[in-house]
Amino acid sequence: MIEFDRVSFSYGNRLVLNELSFSVHEDERTAILGGSGDGKTTILKLIVGLLRPDSGRILIHGEDIAEKAEEGLRDIRIKFSIVFQEGALFDSLSVKENVAFPLREYTGMTEEEIDQKVRELLRRVGLEEAIGHMPEELSGGMHRRVAIMRSMAAFEPKMFLYDEPTTGLDPVSADVICKLILDLSERGRGYIIVTHKVFDAFRLANRFMFLKGGRIVFDGDRQALLGSTIPEIRIFLRELNLNQNQ
Amino acid sequence: MDRIKGFIGQLQEFYILSFHGLMGILRRPFYAQDMVEQMNYAGSGSLFVVLLISLFIGMALSLQLSAELSRLGLKMYTGKVVGISIIREIGPVLIAVVFAGRVGSGMASELGSMVLGHQVDTLRVFGVDPVKKLVTPRILSAVAMLPVLTVIGDAVALFGAYYIAVFVSHQSGTFFWSSIRDILTYENVLAGSIKPFIFGYLISCISCYMGLSTKGGAVGLRRTTTKAVVISFIAIIVADFIMTRVLLYILGFTL
Repeated sequence: MIEFDRVSFSYGNRLVLNELSFSVHEDERTAILGGSGDGKTTILKLIVGLLRPDSGRILIHGEDIAEKAEEGLRDIRIKFSIVFQEGALFDSLSVKENVAFPLREYTGMTEEEIDQKVRELLRRVGLEEAIGHMPEELSGGMHRRVAIMRSMAAFEPKMFLYDEPTTGLDPVSADVICKLILDLSERGRGYIIVTHKVFDAFRLANRFMFLKGGRIVFDGDRQALLGSTIPEIRIFLRELNLNQNQ
Repeated sequence: MDRIKGFIGQLQEFYILSFHGLMGILRRPFYAQDMVEQMNYAGSGSLFVVLLISLFIGMALSLQLSAELSRLGLKMYTGKVVGISIIREIGPVLIAVVFAGRVGSGMASELGSMVLGHQVDTLRVFGVDPVKKLVTPRILSAVAMLPVLTVIGDAVALFGAYYIAVFVSHQSGTFFWSSIRDILTYENVLAGSIKPFIFGYLISCISCYMGLSTKGGAVGLRRTTTKAVVISFIAIIVADFIMTRVLLYILGFTL
């Protein structure tokens, strides 16, 4: 269970999150919607302790992580699998070395076992052929598939955190990523997806939050979102109408 | 008031990064492969530029001094004056400036792009200390490679100076090298060889700090890379003056 209790956060003088409160269960499929710069990615970074709130509490299974030292956050971070926007693969490492990275850091596997595990993970997303490629040789969709596999290579996460997983992808690649996200959550593992693509959010989530001015102005299911009269949400929903008309 | 506070805060962050970056050599895990890669980039990658610049600086310096000393009837001292200038001052400073321009800017832009691409965040998520993994190997590579490049650069600059002195200014080659041998004293060598270690540490710390504090996309990356190079240049010149003053005092040179 993730709980935000009146969390505020600012970058310099710019207040991004203003006494934000919400809670999410591990098996929920939640989409956080909002405009660019509204603090969606900041929420994900706060959950895994990459950023510290200015005030308020962030409870992970009842444990406040806001005050934890960097070393103490390791146990929290392995509960989540976070995939950053555009994948964040290490440029200087090959696909194999990228996926093997957490295995080398977290496990005592031999080189042979690592090779086997990396191949197995890449096979799962149809990228075994790309094992020796460098990240610059991959398409945007391939980047994200490798990043998703890397994020869960060393341990079984309880929950996934996706930062704009389909942004900038063509519809076919976005479809592959959406199917992969759904496939990985089959075993009851939930996720938080941060996006401004409402069409993909509708496909992936059953709970929606809308962020505006550092606060959650909407929290509800699909029907409630469709019936919302908040002007910004109506603008977001236009994308849905466009996709349906097509 | 906010700007002063901000500046003091940055200075504090810089000191902490510089300290932890250096202390990283004492803590496990040791990223030996990263260190070798960085040494290769900083050392062999910079060798050609250092050779070229040192050769021409040595030749230019020899030309200038030969011309000036000829007018005073002191042409035979070209080797001595050129040698002292290169070994004590011009060699270390010039090669440090080249190193800051090539390696320092590379460090800042590489780390900056890793920050912007969330690669540094990914390292932290995987439980890896970015300072240990990214900063320590860069500090060590700079501290190890800059002195080596300086020694090679000094030698090449002296060779350039010798070529001009002998084949253009028609001086005795034997006398030139014996003058150089005379000035290769413990004091001169020490004065010239301590500086590159300090310059290497300063350049790598400044560049890593600038790179890791990158914000604001491509424009931010340009800003931090430029800042890394400019601040490194200033730090080299200021540190050179301070070290020269201190070393002259310690080694007993009278002014």
